[in-house]
Parts: sequence; C-alpha cells; structure tokens
Amino acid sequence: MYLRVVRSPSVSITARQAVGVLPLPTSPKPLQLGHISRLDIKAATASALAASAAVNSRVAAEPASTSKMPGDFTVADVQSAYIHLPFCKRKCFYCDFPVEAVGRDPTAPKVEARMRAYVDTVIREMEATRRLGTGTLRTVFFGGGTPSLLPPSLLELLLNALNAQFGLAPDAEVSLEADPGTFNVQRLRQYRQLGVTRLSVGVQAFQQELLEACGRGHDLPDVLAAVEAVHAAGMPSWSLDLISGLPGLTAEAWRYSLQRAVEAAPDHVSVYDLQVEEGTPFERWQRAGQLRLPPDDAAVEMYGEASELLRAAGYEHYEVSNYARPGHRCAHNQVYWRGLPYYAFGLGAASYLAGRRFSRPTRMREYTAWVDTLKLNGGDTLPGGYLPEESQEELLLDTIMLRLRTADGLDLAQLRNRFGSEALTTALRALAPHERRGTVLALDGQGRPCSLAEAAMDAAKEATTAPLPPLDALPPAAGLGKAQVDFQQRSRGPRVRLSDPRGFLLSNDIISDVFAEFDITKHTNGKRTT
Amino acid sequence: MVCPLAQQHGRCGLLGRRSRLPVVPVNLHPSFRPCQLSSRCFSLAQLTKREQQLRLIPSASAVTAPELELEKGGPGSTYADGAVAKVPVERIRNFSIIAHIDHGKSTLADQLLLKTGTVAARDMVEQFMDSNEIERERGITIKLNTARMKYRSRRDGELYALNLIDTPGHVDFTYEVSRSLAACEGALLVVDASQGVEAQTLANVWLALENDLEVIPVLNKIDLPGADPERVIREIEDIIGLDCSNILRVSAKMGLGIEETLEAIVDRVPAPRNTTADPLRALIFDSYYDPYRGVVCQFKVMDGKVSRGDVVQMMNTGKEYQLDEIGVLAPHKVQVDTLYCGEVGYLAAQIKSVQDARVGDTVTQKKQPASTPLPGYQDIQPMVYCGLFPTDTDDYQDLREALEKLQLNDAALKFEPEVNNAMGFGFRCGFLGLLHMEIVQERLEREYNLDLITTAPTVVYRCKTTDGQEFLVNSPADLPDASRREWISEPYVRLEMVTPTDYVGNLMELANGRRGEFVEMRYLTDSRTTLVFNIPLAEVVTDYFDQLKSRSKGYASMEYKITGYRENDLVKLEVKINGEPADPLSVICHRDNAYRTGRQLTSKLKELIPRQMFRVPIQACIGTKVVASEAIAPYRKDVLAKCYGGDISRKKKLLQKQAEGKKRMKALGKVEVPQEAFMAILKIDREAKDE
Repeated sequence: MYLRVVRSPSVSITARQAVGVLPLPTSPKPLQLGHISRLDIKAATASALAASAAVNSRVAAEPASTSKMPGDFTVADVQSAYIHLPFCKRKCFYCDFPVEAVGRDPTAPKVEARMRAYVDTVIREMEATRRLGTGTLRTVFFGGGTPSLLPPSLLELLLNALNAQFGLAPDAEVSLEADPGTFNVQRLRQYRQLGVTRLSVGVQAFQQELLEACGRGHDLPDVLAAVEAVHAAGMPSWSLDLISGLPGLTAEAWRYSLQRAVEAAPDHVSVYDLQVEEGTPFERWQRAGQLRLPPDDAAVEMYGEASELLRAAGYEHYEVSNYARPGHRCAHNQVYWRGLPYYAFGLGAASYLAGRRFSRPTRMREYTAWVDTLKLNGGDTLPGGYLPEESQEELLLDTIMLRLRTADGLDLAQLRNRFGSEALTTALRALAPHERRGTVLALDGQGRPCSLAEAAMDAAKEATTAPLPPLDALPPAAGLGKAQVDFQQRSRGPRVRLSDPRGFLLSNDIISDVFAEFDITKHTNGKRTT
Repeated sequence: MVCPLAQQHGRCGLLGRRSRLPVVPVNLHPSFRPCQLSSRCFSLAQLTKREQQLRLIPSASAVTAPELELEKGGPGSTYADGAVAKVPVERIRNFSIIAHIDHGKSTLADQLLLKTGTVAARDMVEQFMDSNEIERERGITIKLNTARMKYRSRRDGELYALNLIDTPGHVDFTYEVSRSLAACEGALLVVDASQGVEAQTLANVWLALENDLEVIPVLNKIDLPGADPERVIREIEDIIGLDCSNILRVSAKMGLGIEETLEAIVDRVPAPRNTTADPLRALIFDSYYDPYRGVVCQFKVMDGKVSRGDVVQMMNTGKEYQLDEIGVLAPHKVQVDTLYCGEVGYLAAQIKSVQDARVGDTVTQKKQPASTPLPGYQDIQPMVYCGLFPTDTDDYQDLREALEKLQLNDAALKFEPEVNNAMGFGFRCGFLGLLHMEIVQERLEREYNLDLITTAPTVVYRCKTTDGQEFLVNSPADLPDASRREWISEPYVRLEMVTPTDYVGNLMELANGRRGEFVEMRYLTDSRTTLVFNIPLAEVVTDYFDQLKSRSKGYASMEYKITGYRENDLVKLEVKINGEPADPLSVICHRDNAYRTGRQLTSKLKELIPRQMFRVPIQACIGTKVVASEAIAPYRKDVLAKCYGGDISRKKKLLQKQAEGKKRMKALGKVEVPQEAFMAILKIDREAKDE
C-alpha cells in the first residue's frame, strides 16, 4: 500500500484568503478557541475573520499558523523560541547533548568570560536571523546544559535581544531548565523579575546512590533545598523532572521517588525513560556488560506505576513522558508536538522555520564560525534556508508521530483535510490491530470513547461539512487555569490516541506500524510516486 | 575441429589472397563524408547522444586492388571516425585476463583501454569493464564484457585488433569464465607480485590450458613494497609449470609495463584460424536484453563471415532472423557491415526471447548452412536455492518480470513459483553460489526497486522414497516424510584451499568441523600449502568462505568443484513457532549435528523475533521429537524518547528505520517475524562447543 498525498482542499484558511475574501461561509460549529487577549498579531485580519466566520463569538482563529501549504510560510508568525545554554558543572554519564563542563565553580572569572562570549555569539545569531511574520514570541524555552548556571545578568541580555529582534509578548511562557545545586531563592526571584514564568527542575532521582551512579552534579540535600527555593520564590508554574530506568533502580526505589515527587507538589512532572545513547559512558559500560539496567519487564512496571500514581495525584498524563496539573501543560513543548514553527538559537539547537528543520553545529568552534557566516552574509537569514521545504509526506509522518505522543491524540478530520481521505484510511488500517489489543483508543467529537470505525465516519462527515478550526493554534501558556483547558478539549474533533499506559509504552511500535503502512521510504523513487 | 577437405582448400586460397591485402591507413580519405545509416529498429530520437556520435561511418577503401573485389566492411574499413579499424584475420588477437580476485585484473584492463586510446582518459571511470554498478561497488566482475582495441604494433608497424574478453573472478562464476575462454586464443594470467598464486589462479589457469589457450604470465603490482617477484615467479613455475623466462612485470596502477603487455599479446597470442570461406558458424557466448533491439547476442565468428542484413539460423533452436544490426564493442557499440572469422561482435535481430538465441548456440547462414553446430556449452545447473518473496504481495508480477529480465543476462539463474503459508507467493530461485545469490537479490532491490524477503539458502538434495521414486529436493519443505524416505543424498565438492603454511591447522579444523574428509595436503612452496577436502556443498555454501578468511587472517583462498552426490544420514529439522510449523525456517542437516543446530537455531530466533503480546514458544523438531525449545517472553516497552529541544528528526529516523524493518516482517501464524530470522541458520555459531 502506498500513499498518494493529496493536496488538501482549501480548508486551511490562509492569511491572504482571509484578508481578501470576506465574508467567509459561516461555520455550523464553533471554531476553536484562541486567546483573544493575546491577539496582537494581525488583529485586523483576525477580528474580521472572527466576526464573519463564527456563530459562536468565542473565536480567534490565527490564520497565519493554520497555513501549512507551501508558499504560505512566509507569512506564518513564529511565536516560539528555543535557546540552548550548554554549560554544566559536569557531564552526566547518560548525556549526549552538546554540553560544556565548566567545573564545580561556575562563578570563576574564566567560566563567566566563556559564558559571556557564548551569550554574545547567541545574540549575534538572533540579530542575524530573519523575523518571520509580525507576531511576538509567546513561548521561550531555555534548555541545556544547565541554563540555571547562567548569571541572571546574561539571561537578561538574551531576553532583551529576543525582545528587540522578535518581540516578546508580555504574558509569554518563559521556561528555564534549572538543576538543583545551581540556584537559591534569590536567584529564582531575579529570574522571576526578568520574566521567567516556568522552571523545569532536573531532580532525576530521590536516591543519593542513583544520583551518583548517573554522574549528576548535585546530591540529595541539593534536591530538597531546590524544591524549597522554588516554592519560596513563587514560580507560577514548575516541573519536576525524573528519569526512570536508571541502572540499579528498583521498583521500590522508583515508587519512593514518585511519592517524594508528588509531595514536592510541582505543577508538572516529566518522566523520561533512560535511553542509552551512543558515545556516552553509559553506552561504553553497557557494551562492557557493566551497566545493570533494570530488566525490560521491570521497566514496563515502572512506567505503569508512574502513570497510575501521578494520575491518582491529579496530574494529567498529556504526553508519553509528561504529566501536568490542569492548566499547567508546557505550552512550549506543545509547539513541537503540534508541528508549529519555532526559532532556535545556540549550540546544536534545532529550529523549524518555513518548513525547514535545521540543526546547528554541535561543536562550539563550528557553531561560532557558522554564526560568523550569518553576519558576513548580511544577516536577515533563514537558518537552513538552503534546505528544501518539508514535503507533504514528511509533514504527514511528523504529524502522526508527534500527535500520537499526546493524550489529545491525532485529530482524524484534520488528518483527512490536510492529507486526503486515503491518508486517513491508511492510518486507520495500521491502527486497527492495535485497537483490538487495547493500545489504541478512539474518541468521538465530544470526547467520548467510540470505535475507530465510528471515529472515522465522524471525521468523514466533519470533513465534508465544514472547515475545521486549526489544530495548530497555540496552546495556552502554562498556568492559565482549568476552564480554558477543559474547553480546549471539548472542542476537539474525532480522534485516536494511544491508551495509557500500554499504548504509550508501545508508542514506537505503533507509530512505526503506521509509518510502514504508508510506505514512504527512502527509495520510493520511480514507480511508486506516480 | 575437423573440416572437410574442400573447405580447407578454399580457405587456403583466400588466406593467400588476403595476406597480400594492402593495409589501408585510417582516415585515408578525408573527403568521405559520414553517411548516416537509418536503422530499422529504433528511431533517431531514441539514440543516445553517445550513440549518435558513434554512428556508422563507412569509409571502405577504393584503393584496394580491383581484382580483390573487396567487400564493404572488409579489412581496411574503418568505423566510428576510425575508432574501429577492420584488419585481416591474422592480425586479430582474442584474449582474456584471468586472475585471482583482487589481483588487479580490472585495473590492467583499464590500462589497456587507455593505452590503446580505446577510452579517452577523461571518459575513464575506474574498472571500466565492470559496467554494472554492483560490480564496481564490490570491486568484482560478474558479467563478461568485451572491448575491441585498435593497436599499432611496434614490432611491424601494422594495425592489430585486440579483443579483450573479460572474465569474472569469483568462484561462483567459473562457468562464465569457461564461456569467455572458449572465445579466446590466449590469456593473460595476472598474479599479484606480493600475494602469489592463489586458489582461483590455479582453477582459472587449468581452465585456460584445457581450452588450449596461450597463457602469458603477468606479474602485477610490482611497485608495491611487499612485492617479491622472484618468489612469485618460482611459484608460477613450480605450481603451474609455466615458463616465466619472459614474464611481464607490470604495475597496472602506475601504468608500468602496459606497452610491453600489448606487444606480448600481439607476439604470443596466436591469430584465430582463418576459415573465412567456410559456411558461417558463430558461437553465442553471452546475451542480454535491450528494450529497443531485443535480445543482443555477443558472439565469436568461428568460421565464415556474417553481414548485416543476412538471414541467419540458430542451429539448436532452428529459429531464423534477419540481422538488423551487427557490430563490435569498442567498448561502446559500433556498427559494422561484416564480421569475419576470428572476430568477436554482437548482433541484434529483434529476437524476442532469450530462449530463441541461447548462449552456446551456433549461428549459421540460412542460405549456406554449416553441417554441424559448434559444441556449445553444458547447461549449467544451479547448486544453491532460496526463496524470494516480495514484501508486498502486489509486487509478485513485478518480481516475475524482473527475474525474467535478469535471466536474459544470466543463464545460470533459475526460478519457479513457490507458495507457502507464511510468505505468500514468491519464487524458488536457483543460483551458482552465495555471491551469485546476493548479487541477484541486490540487483532486484536496486534496479527493479523491489523489497524482498529471502529465505536461507539450501543445496539441491536427492531423495528416494520407499515406493522407488527418486527426485530432487531444493526446499526443505518438499522433503517427503521420514517414513517414506529410503535415502537422502547430498552434493559433495572437492574443495581446494591454498594457504600460508601457518594456518594449515586452523583450516584443517574448520574443514573437519564441517564434515570434510581430508584428501591430501601438498606443499606448493616452502611457505604455501594446498589442502584438499571432500566436503558436502551444504557446508560450503553457508559461512565457510568468511570462516576461511577469518581463520587465515585473510590469506587463504579457496576453490571448489562439484564431484557428485553421496547418501548421508540427513534429517529435516523443523522449526515450530507458537506451535505452528514454520516451513521457511526448516533446514536439512546431518543427524549428528541436528541437536546442536536445533539449539542454536532456536536461541538465535529468540534473539531475532521481537517480543509479541503473548508468550511465543520456539521449537526445533525432528519428526515429532522436540530437540530444542526456547520461548520469547511477552511484551516489552518500546517507548518514545524525549524530543529534546524540538529536535525531532533523530527520533523520526529511528521510527522510519523501525518501519522499514517491519515491512520485511512476515506473519508466521500470529507471530510477526523479521527478515533476519529467515537467515538465522547462517548466523548460528557452528563451532560453539556444547556444554
């Protein structure tokens, strides 16, 4: 079976259409919510659209972000940015990210000079990057590395540069990864004043021996102090990050970690299952037979345990590895999962702009040289602009892969509208065996459980009756409150999702089944693309 | 070859006259304008640019003696702007190059083409003669190719036509070697000056001597620091018995000694016998299918002559064709008017099926047929079979067509439809050996864009049933029940391994562990030894070659010849997955090895088959008796990692790879089995000691 990618009918409302062709046909269904308060982008367009298109007045379609058709990228507002800050006290044994170990004292003059130089390079990169669209940034994520090693003064420079170049919405979600042992309450208050709204605290484990076994730069007292500081600083939203499947981790220790995590009362919990990556000490030890990873069956249990325990504690399991209290989903991560564009700056960072996924050099010298060429070329560059735009096939695979990670799932009507009914049928064919095994669930337009076949019928109906609201509208920032989130979920169309935890646990297996069914492979040249 | 006396006479007469022919220099008449020959079989638009450049340019000379009544296209004519010059029979040299793999055969061929100006340096790609992509990649020659070169000898200042007929170097393709040698009068024996005589050197040189070829020894790679010409010369003299007093010393890579090689070809390779006056007999030694020309045959004119437009008959099939096109490969196609005895060329006549113009058939004139055909070739029997199945059942027809097309170029490839419960519809295919199998598989995947699942190769067994019937078994699934069998026999080979003496012990152990029977050991020189074993082919077609290489640090070489069948205590080891027989995984093996093989096969399968949603027992049985058993525990996690910092591409690649693997899975009952599982038998550790 192969896929013939069908150009989507003109369901997605492009900005140009929206401006020119009014009034639009009225929609029998309420369009998806947006954030009227935030709509400082293309206000005229949006409000005109809203006035004409909606029976329900709670509308704020964002024309720019709905348009995924080639050529429309130029007008898409990019509202998110990732900034990579590679400095760490030391490199953890499992880590294969671009990281620079600076030693135990991050305040040493030599280290600060290095950070300053790096921040300077990143700012030059920002200045040389083309601003896409006229909107402002609504999510910013500082990842690393250990961003909390960066002195607030340097962080301020970065935020100022972002604001100057791309505009920073006043209520933007600004997340920062922070490791215990690198901050105190004063530091957090300073971050807070600079506009940081969300912390992602890399606790990883609540056992001293496990922290040592994975080469973390902090100990258990640091963890406890960090939790206290976060609460004292009054961060609007924060996440506690754990790693499951660490060598030596037992079921009991894992349960203990989860309980301690819940007691710390974070708004969000990330549970990442350890992946032994190439080139890391863990990989070396594994090859030498010296890494005692928990057996597969135990890891399965741990995953299930996490899901059960955290959901019981009021967290929604909204993505394979992420849990949030109502209103505290990480808006920035959802940008990735929804296939929205984002800027990225810094060592090894991956951007997605104008349909091009581009990763920066992962070595400092090469990265700096690359930034220099941006400047030399006169700035105003589109990183990875020389790459071909993502094809419809790529887009389809991205959509399936990213949406199936989430509890919101894959919107079938959207899939059909964008990629054609054949794509829908193909995806459902691959998912059907998993539905029988209980690892895939279908939900109707009202969010009630139904069969895959019913959901597919619903999707076909919806697709023919009305243009659907954009699936891509930016989610509310973390900490927005329950009502909006509930509304967001109610308004979604028929969809499929992976069950929790079994479906999530086998997500690779299920998603690769769908990929295989589409048969979009490297050597699909010639006969199959007719 | 005995010819009637009358014909001998006529031939002599012609020879006498021909030898007086004046030599016509190339491009003697600049006033001749190229004249285009319209071809009946394809339009100009279909011609490639290169072919347009090569379009026929006859400049048959009018200077020749009038009493000669020189035919159009006879000696003295030139074609393709002088790239091809016709010469009298006594100035034709047909030769091939034989060598052990990697001794530099293709590089030497490249140099000959360059030196004679046949291929311009700017058009040169390495291993020019290996036109097939896979050949170049693997550095081997699979299909034979020919190249006609024009060479003016320093000896007499005359123009010679040298035909290089390339030969494959791998043990699987001995058959093709013998075909090309039959079209030659001489051979260059290339020996690596540091490595010396190897197993295939020996095998090929015997073949050449059997074919009465003049063998010219060539020492290659003399520029390498490790070169030891004197030792290697001693080896050649001692082992092969060739006179090496005037051995050629060459470095094909550096272009040293090429001129001398060309002179030696002119000097020492005999001219073909001149039998131009006899009725036409031309031997087809290779053919391939061309979408515009139909079957294109490469042939050597043994007697008589053949011209474009002639109506010819294939003596074995009786089919008749009018020749649309004849020509030579120089090395691109150049059309000519007439080909005389001794010449090598190609013909196209809108022949629809390769069955109508088979390799080994004799072409003769319809008007004046020869009385007896040439001996031709033995029909080759494949020795190794495997199942080829499309991963997508819709591709079955495409696979059939692709196999048919490959068969046009590859007489040794056999196939018949096969159906089984796990794999659906596919083909049982026969090959000369494992390399041949891999190459066919690779060509199907690459050139025909097919995704295939291959089952483990097996040899062809013979089986006699209790009711007295005897038949060939090329798939374990076809083997009758033990109760109905009187005996099973399997093919044996005589295996010759040439090795540095240091590794004799290792190789003895290897052969003994594979049911080999020691025949003899000979010291070739003080440091090199030949080991000869009689050994079941089934043991050789698995990983034997890899083992030989790894146990001799790459220094040993091997060669084998099928000697016959022998009855043995063989059993069918059946594999059951989840209680259901998995025919494609079954193997035939010796009873003594059955337990060990069964244990290793099941444990390998346990590794290769992914966990399912339920417990999956894997058993190996002989009849109803379970000899080995394993089980795959149910379930495992397969969770998506973090898409760190929005970098989703790595994750996606991983999933795409996983998806790719899934397309190659086949359901055996309820269990999805990946492609590698079907090859598990090749991956088990045969030497593992039992606890």
